Amino acid sequence: MTKMLDDYALLSPLRYTNNWLKIGVVGFGILMGISSQAPLVPFSIAICMSLATLIFGRVPPKFYLKLLMGPAVFVVFSIIIIAFFFGGGPELFGFNVLDYHLGVNTGGLSMAFLVFSRTLGGMCCLFFLALTTPMVELFSVLKKTGLPDSFIELSMMMYRYIFVFLDVAWCIKHAQTVRLGYHDLKTSLHSMAMLCSTLFLRSWEQGEKTFVAMNARCYDGKMMIFEEKRPVNFSEVALSLTYMVAIVGVWYVSNGMLEVSFW
Amino acid sequence: MVILETRGLKYSYPDGTHAVKGVDIKLRKGKRIAFVGKNGSGKSTLFLLLNGTLKPAEGRIFYDGKELAYDQASLREIRKNVGIVFQNSDDQVFAPTVYQDVAFGPVNLGYSKADIEKKVDGTLEYFGLSGLKDKPPHHLSGGQKKRVAIAGIVAMNPQAIILDEPLANLDPVGADELLDVLHELNHMGTSLIISTHDVDLAYSWADYVFFMVDGEVIGEGTPDEVFQDDELLRQAHLKRPVTFDIYKEIERRGLAHGNRQPRTVPEIVDTLKPPELMWVEVPPETREGDILNLGVLHGEYALQCPYEAVNARVLHIHEGGWAIVELTRHGIKAGGILIYDMDRFDPADFDGFLEKENIDIVGAMGKKSKLMAEKNSLCVDISTGVIDRTILMALCGKRCMILTSGGMIPHSMQRINEYIDRSGIALNVTVVNGH
Repeated sequence: MTKMLDDYALLSPLRYTNNWLKIGVVGFGILMGISSQAPLVPFSIAICMSLATLIFGRVPPKFYLKLLMGPAVFVVFSIIIIAFFFGGGPELFGFNVLDYHLGVNTGGLSMAFLVFSRTLGGMCCLFFLALTTPMVELFSVLKKTGLPDSFIELSMMMYRYIFVFLDVAWCIKHAQTVRLGYHDLKTSLHSMAMLCSTLFLRSWEQGEKTFVAMNARCYDGKMMIFEEKRPVNFSEVALSLTYMVAIVGVWYVSNGMLEVSFW
Repeated sequence: MVILETRGLKYSYPDGTHAVKGVDIKLRKGKRIAFVGKNGSGKSTLFLLLNGTLKPAEGRIFYDGKELAYDQASLREIRKNVGIVFQNSDDQVFAPTVYQDVAFGPVNLGYSKADIEKKVDGTLEYFGLSGLKDKPPHHLSGGQKKRVAIAGIVAMNPQAIILDEPLANLDPVGADELLDVLHELNHMGTSLIISTHDVDLAYSWADYVFFMVDGEVIGEGTPDEVFQDDELLRQAHLKRPVTFDIYKEIERRGLAHGNRQPRTVPEIVDTLKPPELMWVEVPPETREGDILNLGVLHGEYALQCPYEAVNARVLHIHEGGWAIVELTRHGIKAGGILIYDMDRFDPADFDGFLEKENIDIVGAMGKKSKLMAEKNSLCVDISTGVIDRTILMALCGKRCMILTSGGMIPHSMQRINEYIDRSGIALNVTVVNGH
């Protein structure tokens, strides 16, 4: 079994930090990053959040980089396109492809740079949340936001059984592989179809079994209780506030400078 | 007192399989009951009928003398009182965290928030699960998941707990720990009903055994009775328990006393004595087969040791109050068993204590005590089959100490005292740091 994002979050030292504080810090980072016209702000956010993830969250740097590489591929493609097709101003360099002129100008380049920094900042914020706050902690947050109980309960059970079925799927896959179920395309398709249909039947059966198990424990429409004792300590608040003040400072200085340069 | 009773219980599945064909049973309160039968003999279906999950096609079920009705309120009542632990823990443990799963029952019983918290925290600690309470079930081992499943039931304070194949898929140590927990629950008064195809488990663990074949009960009785019946075992597609087999073989070779039913290793050892016959005077109400305690002999009457405890089994009663008895002698040595209450564990004093009491062997029983011993890096020699093995060690003259806590203290005292009563060997048993 591979280790998933949620596994890192479950074992994270920041797991028991107050969820609202974490969500606040992340939300703040995303808003500041998007509202800033200068790439410096999202860049500093990205650096701060990455450091927080790596140092406080003790995520292995190698894994973290690998995680960032996934979306990075898409980002690189989009900024190349933005750089070539958007913006105005003096052209920096250009070339002709089949009588069609392609060129990068200053406006396009700075826009590409801004988009890249914003995406990076947003990604680092979201990865911080994903790597320090497991689903099981988010359920109590969902509960506080006033979503309907049945919605939360269903998602809790779905979360639980995702792992059960993942296990089942792996077992079936192994059983098929050892009997050469994936040795060419045709058998692979066939085996995959069998796996899916078996999994569907299993989940159906599991639903019935779970219903029996819940009834056997006097199910009365009430599902779980939520632990909400996640005290915020002074150093966490102080650190978060320092971070926020610093980012706001950077925002004003860099965006102010932009305005000055526009004048 | 009968806790559950069925009369003419029948059930068929929609596909036409007759899973239970007319079962009449009486399950007594506070007992350890085992249903033994091969796979597909209807044990699981019977269990689902017993707590009202399935409705029988024919027949009736009585809980505490009252017939089970199938309206919401009665079903709730029976399910609160008769908990069921399924064979596959993944079917049962459905909440995202251990804490939430154990809290599920109490929440649905409508306890107040403070009560739920107290109940759940207490149960988790009792099962040695406190450190795992925020873990999701897919991060637990099979044994841990099983304990969570049982904790979820125990948190509802049921009168009886039904366990379907409780030891399936557990490693030997995990199985042993689970049996300790079950013993303790039973000691606190919970009736336990298990299904198994493990005859050794049923023989050594249960007070009362039912044999099931093809949806019918074909035999019942105490383990001593039913496991002697080779014809019954054959019909049920089962084998003799191993301890019993070993005993039968050594008995056939004339190396052991006859007519015993040793269930544990110390009990087998206890049968290993050459017979010695003697005339003694007996009280008038004595009958053949009774055991008389002749007390402690010394001097020329003690043959092997300076002091010997002698028990006599009456073989034949003669006129005039005389009888032929078979003697069993046990040397009394310095061996003894101390029980240490881990709830009053004092790390500063512990090593000095071992020194002072001259302890040779330390055993730890129960998950909580084992975890505490590990945390305080105490050296534990025995961690499985603790009571049996400390008895064996004490018989060899060793001084043993059992680290345990809570309800396991009276439970182990009781089991050792039972052994003392049966064997006539005076082992010294005390709780060393009690009140």
